[in-house]
Amino acid sequence: MTTGFSLYGWLLGVGRGVVRWLHGWWTVIFIGAQLVVLAFSPSSYGPDARRAVLRHVYYAAGPGLPGFTTLMALFNVVLIRILVVTAFAYGLTQYALDAVVRVLVLELIPLVAALYVAVEYTIPGGSELYKLRRAGGLDALRARGVEPLSHEVLPRVLAGMFAVLLLALLSCLISLALAYIAVHGFTLAGAASYNHAVGNIFNPMVSIIFCLKTLLFALAVALLPVANALRDISRRASRTSVELQGLVQMFVLMLVIEIASLVGNYY
Amino acid sequence: MNTPPPDSPPPLPEPQPPALPSAAVAADGREPEATPASRRAQRALELRAALLLLLMVLIIGVAVLYLMWVRGAFEATQKVYLTTDDSEGVVVGMDMTFSGFPIGRVSRIELAPGGTVRIQVDVPVKSAHWLRTSSVYTLEKGLVGAARLRAFSGILDDPPLPPNSERVVLRGDVSAEIPKMVADARDVLQSVNRLTGADSALYASLNQVRTFTERLNSSKGGLMGAVTGNDADARRVAELLDRTNQLVKNLDAVAVRVDGVIRKADSQVLGKDGLVPDAQAAVRQLNALLQDVRHTVVKADAVLKEVQGVASNANQATTNLGDLRADVEASLRKIDSLITEINRKWPFAPKDKEVKLP
Repeated sequence: MTTGFSLYGWLLGVGRGVVRWLHGWWTVIFIGAQLVVLAFSPSSYGPDARRAVLRHVYYAAGPGLPGFTTLMALFNVVLIRILVVTAFAYGLTQYALDAVVRVLVLELIPLVAALYVAVEYTIPGGSELYKLRRAGGLDALRARGVEPLSHEVLPRVLAGMFAVLLLALLSCLISLALAYIAVHGFTLAGAASYNHAVGNIFNPMVSIIFCLKTLLFALAVALLPVANALRDISRRASRTSVELQGLVQMFVLMLVIEIASLVGNYY
Repeated sequence: MNTPPPDSPPPLPEPQPPALPSAAVAADGREPEATPASRRAQRALELRAALLLLLMVLIIGVAVLYLMWVRGAFEATQKVYLTTDDSEGVVVGMDMTFSGFPIGRVSRIELAPGGTVRIQVDVPVKSAHWLRTSSVYTLEKGLVGAARLRAFSGILDDPPLPPNSERVVLRGDVSAEIPKMVADARDVLQSVNRLTGADSALYASLNQVRTFTERLNSSKGGLMGAVTGNDADARRVAELLDRTNQLVKNLDAVAVRVDGVIRKADSQVLGKDGLVPDAQAAVRQLNALLQDVRHTVVKADAVLKEVQGVASNANQATTNLGDLRADVEASLRKIDSLITEINRKWPFAPKDKEVKLP
């Protein structure tokens, strides 16, 4: 048996791949738009739905909050120490605080928080939803007159976003406090210069980019696994599972967001 | 040979349906009756979720307020406009420092109509008293780090800077000086190269010095050989030195003899019967003689005064004699006129009117 190279076949394959890719992203965007509409509709927050949202909010953020905050604090202490000692060694003490805040608060903490929530909550949640859909659970809900998008999907997305924002902001505040202690010690004498330095770093543009980036991270982490669970991803030649493909897709999206934020901040 | 198509990997195990979170819905669509324990658990869970939401709101509020505060949103500011010819290194948000402390922040950079750069600096009112009318502003750009905008107030007693004042910024750019410095350094290095080259004057001088020191250290003549350049001259210098030494010895003997002569002269001149005591006695006698002469002169002076009195008396007598003569002449004229009158009245008067005195 001979298999010759066919340009037509190759182009057809590429075209189908592009169409599939576009269709996949369109599905994600469409589901996201539906969820946004539902999120801003008061009818989505009836007593039952509100209860479901609260339950998911707690499951998303509550159990992981102490552990994540503690681990991030330890990680912050180590990284701050490294940055401060290096800056002192090179005689660049005036840039130590700047480097700490920019590296940790602006870049690392939102990324790590988003990844933590993705691994801890949204990807398992998406997998659960996928299995539920494959087992016909969503159709059963629809048959009972319950809209699965607002009853099962929206609470997960809102909870995932909330968890990312909460963990990121809390860790950022703790990191700012730890940076102050690492640079000035346990004294209030350096508060004025510290506040001034923080104020200089968080100028309006940086603040807006930081908020947008964290929000987009949260959206990507919360939406992509759920959106992937609601559609059929075609298996590729590899044996990579559908969940893992969704995870890779999420990482790529987060990378794009991070690059965009870096471009906005430093160019 | 059958190869599986690339789009159909081996099937994965079919996922099992998880338990529906809301599957506790009865088949007839009604909610089952919740037990009190599960209701309490549900309520506790909702309470914790609400607390988390509250924490989130609190964190966002604190963060926003803190950032607004550190950005100076709650403090009054006054504007200072700084003009310069180049805004390189100036960015919005950079500090203006005074003695190392940030007292203002650049809030705007724009091109002025004249082509200069206009930098707007917001200075908090509580820090504005550091800026005076005589303050100087500089924009320095170092090798490392960003440009620095600094204010200097030399005389703090001057009136404070009024709001919206416009001042000129003095620029100092270290990096601009580097090419010039490198060019200067290259010139210096080339000069040093020329100085230390094999055909340079310094090299020749050092060679001469080395030759000199070699001669100095050699056994032929030593210092004299090095100075004179040959052995014969060195020997002659050595002989000259010997003769000079002898001469000095002779001079020493002469000096001893001169010393004896001087001692004798001293005794003759300043001794007991020497020349000086006699001269002193002669001077004393001369002094007494001069005093006698002074007395004599005083006496002669008195005699002269008397002679002067006699002379003045004689002068006075001469004056009186003139008066007497004038009186006699007047009397004679009167007598003459009287005789003339008598002759005129007297008929017998002779024709000769001459009066003959006895």
